[in-house]
Amino acid sequence: MATIQEVMSDTPTRDDDQLLPDGDPIDQPSADTPARGYTDEQKYRIFNKEFMPHIDSMYNFAFRLTTDEDDANDLVQDTYLKAFRFISSFEQGTNAKAWLFRILKNSFINDYRKKSKEPAKVDYQDVETTYNSEDAEAEHTVDLRAESVSDLIGDEVATALNSLPVDFRTVIILCDIEGFTYEEMAKILDIPIGTVRSRLHRARNLLKEKLRDYASSMGYNEENEE
Amino acid sequence: MKEHCSHRTDCLKMIQLILDGEATEQQLARLKVNLESCKPCIEMYHLEKEVKELLTKRMEKKCCPDQLVATIKSKILSFS
Ligand SMILES: [Zn+2]
Repeated sequence: MATIQEVMSDTPTRDDDQLLPDGDPIDQPSADTPARGYTDEQKYRIFNKEFMPHIDSMYNFAFRLTTDEDDANDLVQDTYLKAFRFISSFEQGTNAKAWLFRILKNSFINDYRKKSKEPAKVDYQDVETTYNSEDAEAEHTVDLRAESVSDLIGDEVATALNSLPVDFRTVIILCDIEGFTYEEMAKILDIPIGTVRSRLHRARNLLKEKLRDYASSMGYNEENEE
Repeated sequence: MKEHCSHRTDCLKMIQLILDGEATEQQLARLKVNLESCKPCIEMYHLEKEVKELLTKRMEKKCCPDQLVATIKSKILSFS
């Protein structure tokens, strides 16, 4: 029988981002979730084998949400401590990554969103309404070409992404950077799949608009249109 | 080759579903037809693909600092 120290010192492969079979990622024990009577050794083993391998993805997510390294540190630490505290509501072998992402996103909303350095506080509802009309969408789908986008560099993409309201930023990170399915995103965000789909669509239109601004400010468009 | 796409928004939504791996066989078949016959759809497809690749490949992936990993592990151990 391995000691707790032995289990914990067994460094997990940190590049293993493979998704485990789907499960219901919950962050609080609830009435319909039977508490699982894990032994201490089992708890540490689950923590080490199923939670720790996702720590780089979690940190990346936290950094993209907070845009600040110290806040990302705190958020990831809080998330992992919460995950350990509520480990009895996690079912071994289910989708640990989605479960952890859900805890992190909830912690962010509850604790960090207020103090996060979002430039102009944008009311999500406003943005949703503004970009709801088909006219606005049509307008935002034009005027940017693949060739001008392909000249952009990572920093410019990151800046454009950071300038989006956090709800839009979140769906893009979950889908395009972390590769979650729509179904997993719906569970992480507590929204219906239809909302995932439409929010993602609007988020991308907004992002392309930001990228277009970049592309034209860098002179990429002019170059390509001649 | 069509120069104007009459269902731009719907086509764009479908293209995104396809690139996200969330499309049905029917939608895949429709895209195939559009990519052979509709210029705006071809352009939208390439742009969406390019933007998605920018996000997946060109953005820096932040790694968790080793110090934080160590802190978390030691805090967890102190719970026992
Ligand atoms: Zn078309």
